Amino acid sequence: MAKTEFWTGSEKYLCDMELAQAFHMARVLGMPLLIEGEPGTGKTELPIQYAADQNLELFVYATGSKSNVEQFVARFDHVKYLRDSQIEILNAQREEKGLETRMSTGDRDPENLADYVAKGPAARAYSTPHSVLLIDEIDKAPREFPNDLLYALSHRKFIMPESEEVIEVSEEEMPVIIITSNREQELPAAFKGRCIYHYIQFPEPEIMRDIVSKHYPSIETKIVDVALDIFYQFRKLGLERAPTTRELLNWLKYVKTFTTKKAIAKIQKLEGIGALIKTQTDLERIQKMVLKNEADYNRRSGPN
Amino acid sequence: MFSTLPQKFREYNLPTDVRTLLLLQKAMDRNLIKTLGDMFSVLKGIVVKDPKMIGPFTRAYYDYFLNIDIQNGDRLSDAIARSETFRQWRDDNLDRFGDDILVGDLVDKFLDDVHLTTYDIKKIIDGKQIWDNDNGNKEDQDDQGSDEVSKSHLDKMADYSDLSLEELLERMKEVMDQQKSRHSGGSHWIGTGGTSPYGHGGAAKDGIRVGGTGGGKMARKVLNDRKFFPVDMDSILNDNNVDAALAALKGIVEETAHEKLDIPQTINQGLKRGGLFLPEMKSITDEKLQVLLLIDNGGYSMDAHIRPVRALFNKMKTRFAHDLETYYFHNTIYDYIYEDAHRSKYMPIERLLEKNPDYRVFIIGDASMAAYELNRTSRETYHAITEQFKKVVWLNPEPKRYWHHTFSIQVIKELVDMYELTPRGIEKAVREMNRKK
Repeated sequence: MAKTEFWTGSEKYLCDMELAQAFHMARVLGMPLLIEGEPGTGKTELPIQYAADQNLELFVYATGSKSNVEQFVARFDHVKYLRDSQIEILNAQREEKGLETRMSTGDRDPENLADYVAKGPAARAYSTPHSVLLIDEIDKAPREFPNDLLYALSHRKFIMPESEEVIEVSEEEMPVIIITSNREQELPAAFKGRCIYHYIQFPEPEIMRDIVSKHYPSIETKIVDVALDIFYQFRKLGLERAPTTRELLNWLKYVKTFTTKKAIAKIQKLEGIGALIKTQTDLERIQKMVLKNEADYNRRSGPN
Repeated sequence: MFSTLPQKFREYNLPTDVRTLLLLQKAMDRNLIKTLGDMFSVLKGIVVKDPKMIGPFTRAYYDYFLNIDIQNGDRLSDAIARSETFRQWRDDNLDRFGDDILVGDLVDKFLDDVHLTTYDIKKIIDGKQIWDNDNGNKEDQDDQGSDEVSKSHLDKMADYSDLSLEELLERMKEVMDQQKSRHSGGSHWIGTGGTSPYGHGGAAKDGIRVGGTGGGKMARKVLNDRKFFPVDMDSILNDNNVDAALAALKGIVEETAHEKLDIPQTINQGLKRGGLFLPEMKSITDEKLQVLLLIDNGGYSMDAHIRPVRALFNKMKTRFAHDLETYYFHNTIYDYIYEDAHRSKYMPIERLLEKNPDYRVFIIGDASMAAYELNRTSRETYHAITEQFKKVVWLNPEPKRYWHHTFSIQVIKELVDMYELTPRGIEKAVREMNRKK
């Protein structure tokens, strides 16, 4: 069940009210929270900031195309085990012949199978009471991964391979589990069924203003006004890759190094726009639009 | 007690069943649900599994809990304004608002009430403490008075939030029974039963605005926004469902990556070590996805489909298929094919057939032509293609129900597996492709 106090964010992190409610609900019900949403909306930030704010230990499993449940929970290192037992034989043979031993098994003892169990983030999180477990970008994983995970998550108990050591956690001390996805592939329905689901909506301008001030407390409001205006216009264009919070923050980081007047001029001239626009086609489209606007403007203001 | 809930939600294509009810019960047992607004957010977390389900969910929720029927293209405020539930709520709360309040504002208040969550109430109570502290030292008589008024009101709210589950259920049941007798069926929570914590006095009256009831805002935003409604998986590929189709296509990549014992290497190295066999591992690399795309771009009947098809496969190329080649033909394939969309660079079919059999072939065309066009050469070409490449599918933008009217479709369908050019059709095609080894 983890810690069940309602948490709405910290000084550095503004937790959207709906997300905070979903997060609270997931903790109370002892279920994983699955967060989906556009990239750059702070999905991964939630567990990181929560753990930092509440002083809890955080375990992260970054999913990739080679992810499997063994890496996530625990795996028995057969290779090392075989190697060590071979070395023991070799060493015994050499000793018999009165030769000094050349290879060692380190601190590992082939008699003790637990020495060969490599624990993954899940096993470690489950052995730490009240920890936070983040499974990041699960949509990057092979398709069988979420289904394998289902079994692991629906129990509060792991049995380590070979050594048969049992890692068990009570419902009260269970880690908070947060799973993020960028929706690059559909997750299996059964998997989603075991999670509390939350889709992060793109922040409204007012909320975005708060987010900006959390990151750059000293930034001039005027700069933010102008930048947000352009930012939300871009998002309405239906670009191939619409700019997100992260990109806005990067852009502001660049322009805020100038004086207010200069910064606003830079924003209006779309300088440093590479921070916002990430594909060539989008960039061309915007440049074309700006040129067209300028041409219109010149035509209108020119002599008739 | 919500035994009819799954049935109602299923009408909106939301996957709900007895497990939904069990989870809901668990949430109630753990005191997560104390207001109707809580019900909305908790159920949403349980039921909604995709942003595209938020729209149908909102409608199902209003239908089931409030008996408010939101039609397609309806605005939430209009649907509320004409509902019986709203009228009743307005009558019950007449003393709360003046006569001159506009319907629009009233709907806002109604939404605030409906979506008021425990979190909102907590926020108000926290606010009250701050307020109390601020006024603690003041001896002013007037201040004292207003303090008391709001305190008693807020206490009521607090009382409500401390209601035990039994009491809450009891009250809800009461309301339901009442509603049943008053008008046929329905499961309103709002009504004369006094379930609403806000019925007496109301927060707004005391000048404390119920802070951002997100649910109402969201419900309003969601309706009529295409983002929150499911795409039609059965409609022919168009700009709106390209992404759904892409998701289906994504299933084509069979990724498995693992480490495997490299036996020859282990033996070689082991022999060199004089019989000490240390296992050598090698990692198995991902299967490479290679795609051949053959598009019929002749004839005006195909014109409308070319753009979404190209958009789809372009996305596929940038996302996951790095080896994708596109060729064109007119109506049907004979013993040549074109390398460019203008059909000026010609390539004999043999060159295509020399390619690696691992290529997956997608043929896109309406397969509709005069019988004489589909001659023996053409039929043999299709045969050769399916022989060379193990995984070949035909995607047809013509709706399936018309297929049997066209002779050429009948013939080609026998030669190449044919699916509709819809997200669902593509999904089926991909599944079939993966089945063939």
